[in-house]
Amino acid sequence: MPQAIVMPKLGNSVESAIILTWHVDVGDAVRAGQALCEIETDKATLEVESSAAGILLARFFEAGAEVPVLRDIAIVGSEGEPFELPAQAAPPDSLSSPPPQASTSNKRASADPPKERLRISPRARNLAQRKSIDTGNIAGTGPAGRVIERDIRAALDQQPKVSPLAQAMLASGDYQIDDELTDVKTDERGKAKRLTKSDLKPVAPDASSDASDEVKTIALTGARRTIAKRMLESLQSTAQLTLNASAEATALRELRARFKASDEALFLRGVTINDLLMFAVARTLPAFPELNALFENDSISQYKRVHLGMAVHTPRALLVPVIRAADSLSLRALSAEAKRLAQACKSGKIKPDDMTGGSFTVTNLGSLGIESFTPILNPPQVGILGVGSVQLKPVERDGAVVFLPHIGLSLTVNHQAVDGAPAARFLTQLRENIAHIDLLLAV
Amino acid sequence: MPKSQTIDPREARQRSLLRAPDIPVNAYVSDPQAEAECYSSAALLNIYHDMRLIREFELALDGFKKTGSYRGIEYMHPGPAHLSIGQEAAAVGQCLHLSPEDFILGSHRSHGEILAKGLSAIRALDDERLLGIMRQYMGGAALRVVEGIEDFGDVKTLAQAYLIYSAYAEIFARATGFNRGMGGSMHTFFPPFGIMPNNAIVGGSADIALGMALFKRINRQGGIVIANIGDSAVASGPVWEAMNFAAMDQYHQLWQADLGGAPPILFNFMNNFYGMGGQPQGETLGFGMLARVGLGVNAAAMHSERVDGYDPLAVADATRRQKERLLAGQGPALLDVITYRYSGHSPSDASSYRDRDEVELWRQQDSIASFAQYLYVNGHADSQTLADIEAAIERRIAVIVAAAIDLERSPRMTVAGDEIGALMFCKERADARTLSKERPPEVLQPLAESRLALTARKHRFGIDERGNARPKLQTLTYAEAIFEAMIQRFYEDPTMIAFGEENRDWGGAFGAYRGLTEAIPYHRLFNSPISEAAIVGVAVGYALAGGRAVPELMYCDFMGRAGDEIFNQMAKWQAMSANVLRMPLVLRVSVGMKYGAQHSQDWSSLVAHIPGLKVYFPATPYDAKGMLNLALRGTDPVVFFESQRLYNQPETLFAAGVPVEYYEVEEGQPQVHRQGGDITIVTLGATLYRALAAADRLWTQHGISAEVIDARFLNPLNYAPLVQSARKTGKVLLASDAVERGSFLHTMASNISQLAFDYLDAPLAVLGARNWITPPAELDESFFPGVDWMIDIIHQRILPLPGYQPRTRQDSAQILRRNRAGI
Repeated sequence: MPQAIVMPKLGNSVESAIILTWHVDVGDAVRAGQALCEIETDKATLEVESSAAGILLARFFEAGAEVPVLRDIAIVGSEGEPFELPAQAAPPDSLSSPPPQASTSNKRASADPPKERLRISPRARNLAQRKSIDTGNIAGTGPAGRVIERDIRAALDQQPKVSPLAQAMLASGDYQIDDELTDVKTDERGKAKRLTKSDLKPVAPDASSDASDEVKTIALTGARRTIAKRMLESLQSTAQLTLNASAEATALRELRARFKASDEALFLRGVTINDLLMFAVARTLPAFPELNALFENDSISQYKRVHLGMAVHTPRALLVPVIRAADSLSLRALSAEAKRLAQACKSGKIKPDDMTGGSFTVTNLGSLGIESFTPILNPPQVGILGVGSVQLKPVERDGAVVFLPHIGLSLTVNHQAVDGAPAARFLTQLRENIAHIDLLLAV
Repeated sequence: MPKSQTIDPREARQRSLLRAPDIPVNAYVSDPQAEAECYSSAALLNIYHDMRLIREFELALDGFKKTGSYRGIEYMHPGPAHLSIGQEAAAVGQCLHLSPEDFILGSHRSHGEILAKGLSAIRALDDERLLGIMRQYMGGAALRVVEGIEDFGDVKTLAQAYLIYSAYAEIFARATGFNRGMGGSMHTFFPPFGIMPNNAIVGGSADIALGMALFKRINRQGGIVIANIGDSAVASGPVWEAMNFAAMDQYHQLWQADLGGAPPILFNFMNNFYGMGGQPQGETLGFGMLARVGLGVNAAAMHSERVDGYDPLAVADATRRQKERLLAGQGPALLDVITYRYSGHSPSDASSYRDRDEVELWRQQDSIASFAQYLYVNGHADSQTLADIEAAIERRIAVIVAAAIDLERSPRMTVAGDEIGALMFCKERADARTLSKERPPEVLQPLAESRLALTARKHRFGIDERGNARPKLQTLTYAEAIFEAMIQRFYEDPTMIAFGEENRDWGGAFGAYRGLTEAIPYHRLFNSPISEAAIVGVAVGYALAGGRAVPELMYCDFMGRAGDEIFNQMAKWQAMSANVLRMPLVLRVSVGMKYGAQHSQDWSSLVAHIPGLKVYFPATPYDAKGMLNLALRGTDPVVFFESQRLYNQPETLFAAGVPVEYYEVEEGQPQVHRQGGDITIVTLGATLYRALAAADRLWTQHGISAEVIDARFLNPLNYAPLVQSARKTGKVLLASDAVERGSFLHTMASNISQLAFDYLDAPLAVLGARNWITPPAELDESFFPGVDWMIDIIHQRILPLPGYQPRTRQDSAQILRRNRAGI
């Protein structure tokens, strides 16, 4: 006959006790009088002794559980003997837990439970999907911790209400809630604010995200948010005109090859094609003040010096630090400054000051194989140069067609401030300077 | 016991002796000259013809079963063939004095009987009738095939060919068979010739035949009914019940004399000395001679006789004398017709239980050879004539059986569609089919003077305008709603009868029939013996004969006593007859309470499991009357459950109350009694009221709004409203008083889960009574689902209720534990 071990009543006023630790596992042999577990009341810590000898067939509560007195906490009997589960209702927190293992070989009863798959009702799952609710962090209140409809509804209540159109847009995965716009969750009257189309913004592709099976919703960080805003503003607030050309890159490549092979002491090995290009831009721009300018508040501010913005890709966002007075720097100095700024961007240590005050920007996708693209202005600047890759181009020379390397150049200007002709002239001059970069260096 | 009869102790305690009549044994003495005068040479030659034809008919089957061929015709017959080779004289002799309006019912071994009866009917019916029957039956399908076989000449020969062909086609499961192949060998029958269902359950025909005899008596129709059953069937309970039911004193003492007395039934035991391999006489029973059994039934000993079934004229004589008695109302009658089958019980029978020499002894006395000798000796036929008859039969059987096995001419029923399913219910209204407007229903008082006048004046809704309960005695109850449906139909349908235990003066054990005794004559409403098998079986026969029967089982628990009659007879004959017959039978079954383990069970799940039965279970007076109206007007068999918890229940849910005038509840339609959005509770039977109380508590204590639906029907059942509700709430509890294991609720839960899976927030929970015996009434709460259990199971399995402390354990671990323990 299996014998139940009960939580002893340790005094008139004691109603329950907490099991601190179990000394025996299910399947262990126990002697009569052997301590089975340690318990704690509000007054003392004590041991519960086995009232029978045999095998511990089952434990009904785990360590940490608060158990009313006189309730069965374990069963001792002979091996394999069937036993009844306690007839009295278990306390609510364990009502829905699975029945204790009666198996005598269950030695790992106290080990960490294996991580269970999410238990969720079909209804709750469907609702969560419809409402774009992430079920991963929802605590289920259904039987055995199953996530049920009301849990999803509760999660929904935590969220602003969503208009049907916005709902459909969210469900498509192409849009997300614009946190910046919807920080305020309640309206003036304290009612949950209703999200509409205007509270959403498109999901930007995230270069950093791993290839994942599922759509991953990423809340916008400050930088990304700034970019998103700036880019859209840029297109909405300026009249962008892009001119495409290419410059012969024979000298550029030769120079770069020579730098790479140069004496380390010259500190020229790290000079890149992009550095050379920025150098060319910085040296060309002063002759074209209409392009080295800011356009804002219906006025144009032309700069004497060239404060050259350089686009830097980082895992977090696209950043544009500024090389101050780039036109006054030697190639080596410009290259060093560019490296410093790029490094700071990538390590996230770039200072806000380093990112403001540009008068013109260079952005380079050539290293990524792009031949030509439409750069977007960084207002209030009026010009931005996109640099493409180096391609072989047929050129007539001495009555024969030869193939020479050319680098793609795409200049976007704000047509509000700059006309096409001066922009074209600047680009033509820049092509010349690049083609003869060796001469420019000598100037 | 009716009040009109007094049991006088002085009489009851009087010393005396019982004397029994003598039982004649093989008393017939052949007198060839008298026989020649009584019959004619032609009629006597017909006897030979019929016996020889039956023999050949079965030899063909024997050939197919044992060797796969008969006279060069190859055929494999996978179905049964219980042959009666050797028993032909008993079959043919019986039909010599029968007319088409006489019915025979048989057993699994009745090919000979149906052919004999058919041949006899063909001789009795004129050509026009015969042609009419053949053209009309199943749209003339079989007739067209038979006409294509060859030119059979005159109509009677054509009709014989039709009979033989249709029987074969039925045995071979062809759509052109008597019953489109749905009956088969053991159930071959053809009502237009008075050949009624043959029953493959031993003795199954006894109470059904009695029901048909009662139909004839009660509805003043001519003819007798013969139950052809085997000798071993005498020991089966339903046969004994039927014989006693057939012998009730009330036919003579209480029924009006102009009806003509007892039902005209002959229990005709085809005594071939074997019940499969057991010998009733000498081994498995102790009656010595079966004819002795009649002594136990009534003072007339059922006019019991043993008859020599190897002499067709002895059988004819005995049947003729019994028929006269039966038509005079002196039934029941019993014949112990000894005969012998040379073939085994079935083709697989190696006859290991009998000696070859024994078979040979009977073969030496073969009835066909003996009768040929008789014809020859007495100058009725020369040997050439007999040889010609034989040759003609052999040729005819060969061409007809060839047509019957030919799948081109005799196709099987297609099973691609739902053709067989379409046969399960006729879905007809009785009005058009059975009601004869010329014959007014026999009643004892005008309807306006009946108790209906009193119940009609009662409150029809149990709650007054202020929301208070109306006085019970002044408000129509569930039992009275049953009464109203019954009496209204009694006054509409002249064929309707009701019977059961205590149906008359007592008004049914629970008073539902109170007031009917005064309104309905004895033969339409009577007390039966406590014989549940016969109560249902008689009703089956009565319904098959064309009348409406409303038998009552006092307690659901007694269904076990009528198991075969409910499961195999009531459920199946419509489909087995391919809808040639109807089953306008409403079996009222009362689910008990407070009477312990054998009087408190809800067995609705058992009958819902059986194809062919409709199962209704109303829970309110409105439904009780509307659903009984529906059942009483349809032609399909209905098991109509009532709960004894509800007989005193006034209508509290249908706000318009219970109409006095006729109305019907739509078949299969669940009723939503309370709208709710959070959880659905579906009930069957009396748990409806506990579910409503649970819904109240869920709302007031937990803010949960429950939708409460009474399914009302188990079969047919429209799941659409249940699924709609399940999709809405995502949470469903089903409850009934039936024990949980095997409960029909599980079928419903399974179907709803299939249809609403994606909408479910929890598995459906089924709450039934515990899988125990029903304990004494004092312990009801431990056994039947109560309001607490409903809340507890919702809390533990569907939707935990914050702060709620359950009183009982209903969590899913209990499912494992209880089932492991088998409880």
